[in-house]
Amino acid sequence: MVRKTAVPLTALGLVSAVWIALSFAGSLPKPGLIPDHTVINDPGEVPRFLADAWQLPDDPLLGFVEITAGPFLMGSDAAIDPLAFDIERWSSTNAQVVLELPTYYIGRFEVTVAQIRSFVQATGYPIDGQALSGAPEHPASFISWPDALAYSRWLDKILRTSAETPEALSTLLEGGGQVTLPTEAEWEKAARGTDGRIYPWGSEPRPDRATYQARGTTAVGSHQCPECPFGLSDMAGNVWEWTRSPYQPYPYDPTNDSEDLENESLWVMRGGSYTDPERFVRGANRGGADPGARRAFIGFRIAISPSE
Amino acid sequence: MSAAQRRKEWQKDQGHRVQLPSGRALDSTPGLQVLAAPIVLTLTLVALSFLPRIQSNLTLAISIWGAVIVLLAWIIVLYLRLRREHASRTFQTMLRPQHYVQALVQLAVFAYWGWHWRPVYEFGTLLAAQLIFAYVFDMLLAWSRRETYTLGFGPFPIIFSINLFLWFRDDWFYLQFLMVGIGFLGKEFVRWKREGRTVHIFNPSAFSLGLFSLVLIATGTTNLTWGQEIASTLTLAPMIYLYLFLLGLIVMYFFSITLVSGAAAMVLFGLSALYTSLTGVPYFLDSEIPAAVFLGLHLLVTDPSTSPRSRAGKLVFGGLYGLGVFGLYSLLGAYGAPTFYDKLLAVPLLNLSVRGIEALILVIRRNRAIKLLRLDWAPLVLNPVHMAVWIIFFGSMTAMGKTDGTHPGDSLPFWEQACAEDRPTACNRLIQLEASYCGDNSAWACNELGGHYRQGEIVSSDADLALGYFSRACELRFQPACVNLLDPGSFRRINPRALDLRLLLREGGQNLMEMTEPELYERACVQHDWDFACDKIMSAS
Repeated sequence: MVRKTAVPLTALGLVSAVWIALSFAGSLPKPGLIPDHTVINDPGEVPRFLADAWQLPDDPLLGFVEITAGPFLMGSDAAIDPLAFDIERWSSTNAQVVLELPTYYIGRFEVTVAQIRSFVQATGYPIDGQALSGAPEHPASFISWPDALAYSRWLDKILRTSAETPEALSTLLEGGGQVTLPTEAEWEKAARGTDGRIYPWGSEPRPDRATYQARGTTAVGSHQCPECPFGLSDMAGNVWEWTRSPYQPYPYDPTNDSEDLENESLWVMRGGSYTDPERFVRGANRGGADPGARRAFIGFRIAISPSE
Repeated sequence: MSAAQRRKEWQKDQGHRVQLPSGRALDSTPGLQVLAAPIVLTLTLVALSFLPRIQSNLTLAISIWGAVIVLLAWIIVLYLRLRREHASRTFQTMLRPQHYVQALVQLAVFAYWGWHWRPVYEFGTLLAAQLIFAYVFDMLLAWSRRETYTLGFGPFPIIFSINLFLWFRDDWFYLQFLMVGIGFLGKEFVRWKREGRTVHIFNPSAFSLGLFSLVLIATGTTNLTWGQEIASTLTLAPMIYLYLFLLGLIVMYFFSITLVSGAAAMVLFGLSALYTSLTGVPYFLDSEIPAAVFLGLHLLVTDPSTSPRSRAGKLVFGGLYGLGVFGLYSLLGAYGAPTFYDKLLAVPLLNLSVRGIEALILVIRRNRAIKLLRLDWAPLVLNPVHMAVWIIFFGSMTAMGKTDGTHPGDSLPFWEQACAEDRPTACNRLIQLEASYCGDNSAWACNELGGHYRQGEIVSSDADLALGYFSRACELRFQPACVNLLDPGSFRRINPRALDLRLLLREGGQNLMEMTEPELYERACVQHDWDFACDKIMSAS
């Protein structure tokens, strides 16, 4: 004899079992991705960086360094720099050109693992798990071009809205600045300064000034580089850095960046990485990568550029 | 004495070797030695877990070891209980055609589908693991509640049927075992009295599928499964409707389910045609009846033991399935839930209505007015006659291009145009179709979706969603999407690339990866009225 309550009770029990199982499964992290805010426990304490300011550097502009308006020499002349690649030559008539840029600001350091953790913790942004697994003070890697832009957008938003933002930085942003990736011209000027040097520290390779031909990354700012322009660190080596410039032949002209939409997408990255020999860490060297590339040797640095 | 009691008595009289009217030879083996069978099968499951397919994912391997631990614990508990009670357990073999014929037909579907969508073959090891688990689970469940386990091919159609519609991804595969287990528990415990016998209410696979579908929708965890891919990849196999139709004829011939399948298909075809004539757009996206629904109405809803026995009842049952799927498709769509659950959710509801349908048929037949007017009509007695009608109907539909032929719902320009003309549901369908192609890695479709969400003209504006779609398209190397990420104030788009066309023009699911570019553009121009493709052909010539 089947009891009248048996069927509904059994059905209810089974539904509850499935519900609990699926709710539990749904709350588990997906492999390689961070699905919600609860996964990252601690972005990690890093000396010289502020745990209460999104792990940004501990200085008045939270790590942004002013690059004053003015000219700089862009491109490479193989007659001066025998290691130069053809892609660095400005045109068939001029190897290099003097380019004028307005004032902008660029990060003193490459964006660190701790900063990316802070971003993911705040937003739940789905990022490759490997981007979070490095030492907190090392440059973030395994970051795609859209990931780097997503971080920039988030930082732009919080710096605009947070009461913790230093006044000088708020003023910059209110004045039309935007946190984003640097263009390749902005990046090159920041790396080489205005005197057309080959490496950030001068014209000869110096392994004590940067991390290249090495086994892995080093903590950002590990190398003292008093000769480097603007006091920036790791503008050569450690990780390649994404820019917001599409990879196209010189002459460089940011006004045509969004014209060539039919070709396959490649974006410029600069600076070379720990895996590269000296030729690739020169300030004028140009790398191009698929925007979806997530590699151990690709990271980024942020800038505050005038709105376009 | 009821039929079941009489049968039980009769079996008792026959001792250890009996003959049942509905089966073949029967054996029984006394004692507890029979527990060796689940032990051996469980150890086989352990061995299976060391195959490369399973070792490729730690969670998957752990899922199988977890299932093994549960089964071994159950065997030990059962053994101790039986020893304490001095009880013995036996099994008998019974090979029922409704099990092995059904299983062979389902296997034929897997074989053909897998030939055109390789993940099915790669899933073979996991299918085998589920089968072993199902046999052990079924044995232990039976021996926990009674003396005899009936060994046959019963678990095959249950496992195959579940897996024709829903698999959990490797990282959540333990839920697949739970789904299988719940199917058997439902069969064992969720029962009612019908025609004097206590029988299970739900088709075991449909019960499990329905239950999980409901909870997957409610908890928003559909992405834990391959459900969407399964529903959409059946059509990768060419002439899949014809193939399913021919296989369906085998089942119809042996088990007289033509009235159920035929009525369901006719209702769906009819309602689809009516909707199209009223609105100018197709009801289902990719066909008059989605291939997975067509599969369901042949192999999921047709379990004889959970559907009506009378011919009129079967006709009503099939018709209601058609209506149910049609209604659920809209209902799920309206709630933003994946629509492929339509065919799964309808079956348990219908199983529950079986007694009601039978009672209704009886009332109608007994009604004096009905009798006087000679309206107590029952479908023709002969199943071959029903099959002949079904063959003619399907043939007519095929001749009109309503099955394996090109379907306007496959064409993006069709929906773009329909959306621009503000036809009912057209903009939603456009979004749905683009989301599906974006999921297939068409960067063009992702960029278009991003544009819709940025512009907010045919869908509510959502800046974050737009950025998400642009990011996906950009990572697929679609330059306009990357530029859209940089410039939040505009929307840049280009025509689909050749790679996109290979995905966007699949129509019946054909694999276009090998097609030459001129052929692709010709297809885009001629079959889909894509203007840019026509221009390209013109300029090339």
